Amino acid sequence: MREWIAVFKRGISIDNPLTVLMIGLCATLAVSTKLEGALFMGLAVIFVLGMSSIIVSSIRSLVPEQVRIPVFIVIIASFVTVVDLTMKAFLPDIYTFLGVWIPLIVVNCMILGRAEAFSYHQPVRLAIADGLGMGLGFSIVIVVLAAIRELFGSGEIVFLGARLIALPEWYRPPGVLLLFPGAFLVFGFISALAKWYNTRTSGRVVQTDAHCTIEEGVR
Amino acid sequence: METLQHFALLLVGGALVNNILLTRFIGLCPFFGVSNSLDTSLGMAGAVVFVMTLATTATWVFWNVLLVPLGVGDFLYIPAFILVIAALVQFVEMYLRKASPSLYRSLGIFLPLITTNCAVLATATESVRPGFFKMGVEYGFTFGEALIYTVGVSLGFGIALLTFAALRERLEVAPVPDVMRGTPMAFITAGLLSFGYVGLAGLFGL
Repeated sequence: MREWIAVFKRGISIDNPLTVLMIGLCATLAVSTKLEGALFMGLAVIFVLGMSSIIVSSIRSLVPEQVRIPVFIVIIASFVTVVDLTMKAFLPDIYTFLGVWIPLIVVNCMILGRAEAFSYHQPVRLAIADGLGMGLGFSIVIVVLAAIRELFGSGEIVFLGARLIALPEWYRPPGVLLLFPGAFLVFGFISALAKWYNTRTSGRVVQTDAHCTIEEGVR
Repeated sequence: METLQHFALLLVGGALVNNILLTRFIGLCPFFGVSNSLDTSLGMAGAVVFVMTLATTATWVFWNVLLVPLGVGDFLYIPAFILVIAALVQFVEMYLRKASPSLYRSLGIFLPLITTNCAVLATATESVRPGFFKMGVEYGFTFGEALIYTVGVSLGFGIALLTFAALRERLEVAPVPDVMRGTPMAFITAGLLSFGYVGLAGLFGL
C-alpha cells in the first residue's frame, strides 16, 4: 500500500507531467482560458490515462515488443472516442470549446509516454496509481493555470453559467492574459515556481528539460 | 484570379495568421524538445512539411473514399486517422532508407517523433473532417484547398520553430536568474515571440 501511495504521489509532485516532465503541454496551454474547459479536459485526461493504464498493464505479457506502439495507440484512441462521443452528447458547449483538443488527446505524449514508460512494465495495481496520479497532477496544474488566466484576464470566473468569483469593478482586466502570449508567460512562472519548490523539498536539483518520452520509445 | 487569391489567403492564413505553434499551441512538444539547436530544428521543419502534406493527402482520400460512404466517420475517425498517419510514416521511413540514404540521414530520426506529433493529426483532422475549422472560412475543404492549407500550416510551423531555435541559442549565454534558467525562460521567450503573431490576428479578416 505504501508503494501504491508513493507512486500515486510522484505523479503530482516530483514527476508532475506538466511542470517537471514537460509532456502534454499543447492541450494545457490551449484550453486554459476557461476554468470549466480546463476542468473537463483534466477529467477527460484522467479517464483516458487511467483506463488505458489498466488495459495496457493487464495485457502487457501478450503484446510483443515490436507492435506495442500501434497497440497502445488503438487502446488510447478507443477511450478517446468514448470521451469524444460522451461529451458531444451531454456537454455540447464544452465540446465546442475544447474542439479539436478532444481527438488530440490520442497524441498527447503524456498518455502514450506513461503507457510506454510505466504501465507496460508494471503490475495493474501500480499502473492504476500511476495513471491516476499523473492525471491528477495534470489536472491540478491545468486548473490552476486556467483559474489564474480567467480570474485576472477577464475579472470573473464563470462555471457552467454561474458566476463563481468576480473581482471588484475598479479592476481593469489585462486581456493579454487570455490571449496566446499570456498562456506562455503564466506557465513560465508556474514552472519556475514548481522547479523552486521541488528543488527545496526533495533536496535534489530537478532537471527540467523539455522532452517527449515517446521519442526514445518509438525507435 | 478569384481562386488564386483564395488559395493565397489560405496559405498565409495557415502559415502566419493562425500559426499552429504560437497562436494555437498545437505541436509544442517538438517546439520545446528539438529547438536546442538550429540544425536539428531545420531537419525537423523539413520532415514536418513533408509528412504533413502526405498525411493530409492520405487521410483526405481515406475519409472520402472509405469512412463517409460506409457511414462510420463520426466514431471511427480518431483511430482511423492516427493509424493512417502511423502507417504512412512507417512506409515513408522504409522507402527513404532504400531510395535516398542521404535524405534519410537528415530526416530519418525525426520521422518516428512525428507520428505522435499532434500538429500532423490536428491539421489532417481539421482540413479533412468538417466541424473543427475556426479560421472564418467555410469548411468542407476541397482536396486542393486542404492541400494548400496544410502546406501553409507546415511552413508556419517551420518558420516559428527556426525563429525560436535561433533565439534559444542566444539565450544559452544570456544572464538569466537561476530559478528561471532552462524551460521557464524558454516559455517566457515563446510568450514574447507569440506577441508578434497576435499582432497579425484579424489580418485579411481571417
